[in-house]
Amino acid sequence: MTRGRTRDATLLMPGIAWLVVFFAVPLAIIFVVSLGARDQFGGVVLDDLSLRNYARALEPDFVPTVANSLRYAVLTTVFSIAIAYPIAYWISRYGGRRKTLLLVLVMLPFWTSWVVRTYAWMTILRDNGVVNGILEGAGLIDQPITLLNTDLAVVLGMTYGFLPFAILPLYVSIDRLDPALVAAARDLYASGRAAFWHVTLPLTMPGVIAAALLTFIPAIGDFVTPDILGGAQTTTIAKVIQTLFLSSKDWPFGSALGFLLIVATIAGTVATLRILRREVIG
Amino acid sequence: MTDHDPRPAPETMAMPIASGNRLSRRRFLRGMAAVGAGGGAAALLAACSSDSGASSAPTAAAATASTQPASPSASAEPTPAPTPESELYVYNYADYIGDDAIPSFEAKYGIKVTYDFFDTYETMTAKISSGNSGYDITFATGVDVPGFLARNLVQPLDHSLIPNLVNLGPEWQDPGYDPGNAHSVPYMWWTTGFGYDTERISEELTSWAALWDERWKGKMAMLDDYRETFAVALIRLGYSVNTIDDAQLDEALALLQAQQPLLRKYTADDIGDLASGDVWLSHAWGADVSQVATELPSATYVIPDEGGIRGSDAMVLLSGAKHPIAANLFINHMLDPQVSADNTNYIYYMGPNEAAKAFIDPEILADPTLNPDKAAIDKLQELLDLGPDLQKYQERWTKLRAGA
Repeated sequence: MTRGRTRDATLLMPGIAWLVVFFAVPLAIIFVVSLGARDQFGGVVLDDLSLRNYARALEPDFVPTVANSLRYAVLTTVFSIAIAYPIAYWISRYGGRRKTLLLVLVMLPFWTSWVVRTYAWMTILRDNGVVNGILEGAGLIDQPITLLNTDLAVVLGMTYGFLPFAILPLYVSIDRLDPALVAAARDLYASGRAAFWHVTLPLTMPGVIAAALLTFIPAIGDFVTPDILGGAQTTTIAKVIQTLFLSSKDWPFGSALGFLLIVATIAGTVATLRILRREVIG
Repeated sequence: MTDHDPRPAPETMAMPIASGNRLSRRRFLRGMAAVGAGGGAAALLAACSSDSGASSAPTAAAATASTQPASPSASAEPTPAPTPESELYVYNYADYIGDDAIPSFEAKYGIKVTYDFFDTYETMTAKISSGNSGYDITFATGVDVPGFLARNLVQPLDHSLIPNLVNLGPEWQDPGYDPGNAHSVPYMWWTTGFGYDTERISEELTSWAALWDERWKGKMAMLDDYRETFAVALIRLGYSVNTIDDAQLDEALALLQAQQPLLRKYTADDIGDLASGDVWLSHAWGADVSQVATELPSATYVIPDEGGIRGSDAMVLLSGAKHPIAANLFINHMLDPQVSADNTNYIYYMGPNEAAKAFIDPEILADPTLNPDKAAIDKLQELLDLGPDLQKYQERWTKLRAGA
């Protein structure tokens, strides 16, 4: 018994080491820096530690960017799951022998840098880009619609980028669902729709939750998409943090905002999982 | 895509990368610049550059061969020939060098150049501040050279390797920011104003106030450069662009905050945004607008009546440079009259190179927006190094950008 437990702990060691080295230690560094001050050239001074940067972080200046971040992340999550669920369902149920190929195709975009793929959206969305070209060519519009540098472009870019993260857990969850359960529901005179809502969806809820987390968490920390596809009004809190580190050279303040973002994300994730576990999974 | 009609007129659906003309290539490179800015490229570079201390034999041979006066121009060769390193890492803005400057240097000395772009000036300064960015040469604003020197970010140049210094015009031989060009060599000088598409905006714009005009809402951009952008507001308010007065800066911030809802974006790509038509009116560097005009002939550049900004960029040798000999030779190469003129003919920025003027396109020399005369230049202000007070701008820039 004790030996078994020791072995379990040994198996955990690589994971724990990973977490400590790549998460706990950096987080601790960020926290310490966040208590410091910047020097005149943008260096970090740690001889007078205080919570002043946290006081600044709570100023109303940053409410609009936090609101932007939340809005983009929520919309991205909702759209990703809405698009990913049917795809995952189709691959699982009708993919047949080509399942593996289809899953590889889902992951294929990862072979190209995400930044490059995001740039590709620029050429699609700009005023003389592909979409406006088609709409104008079809005579539907005479003036280009502003697509690039808008909220729409940001949510579109994020949904595109994070969609594979939603498809894969949903696929796993749907694939594990025993089709006999759905068949049984149909035998008991459930309509197709009722069988989906009462059998398929509840049983694949863990996949939906995993997909939501895997989409929401990177989306709330994303600064690349709002930077490339967004405009003057689409600043996210992650972009502000990037600005603080690179342009404004205020690492302590950037660290304070970053630390708050990480803590808020972890707290939100844990709380969501708790509630869902109680309500949905039971 | 053919060269006779460089405008992106009816084939608006064509992807810029696919169309094969000069500007399209630029746009592609610009995209790549952001990839570098993402950090991956530089990290990789730093990793790769750690083992490059020793120079290899074939390079030495190539360098020796290059001591003969083979160049058709009046370029002076450093003697005696040093043995340069086999590699060189250069860090510059995108679209800021001629297309043959690097290949001709590589061919001449057998040195492999890794040439990376930064998207904003701040990205560059953040990266080199670590002291081991992996780069040998970067391009600093002239007035920043003393600050870089004070922070030990740059090292002295070896003038025995840069005989082409004699090509500099007299006003550049001993610039105030770096006496005797001991730590830097001027590369190009520029003005900042705004550019607009005269086909979209038919009236003549002469004032910075145009960038606050509701009629162009959603079609305007300011530069993603806080000194330049604050300078515009300060000029409009009639203050010095180097003010450190909090009340004046707060006024400037309020003016920029009022402008923000009208803007499409803060751009790190004034060329691409104007050329693509996404933006009709943009705060821009003068020569950049001339680059736009090669694709969009209706683009025009204005130095507003209220005045604009002038400045110069200088090549500096970074303290952590692992290839100092190659770096000095590179600076010498860039001062070659033909190379310097080729750069100007390609990017439309005027250089400090007096000897190059014979090779520069006469149209560029005659264009008052590209080559303003002394009287015009004197009306422009220069952005000075503010030392610790720069923080006042940085804090307000964060507030401006956070006000979504």
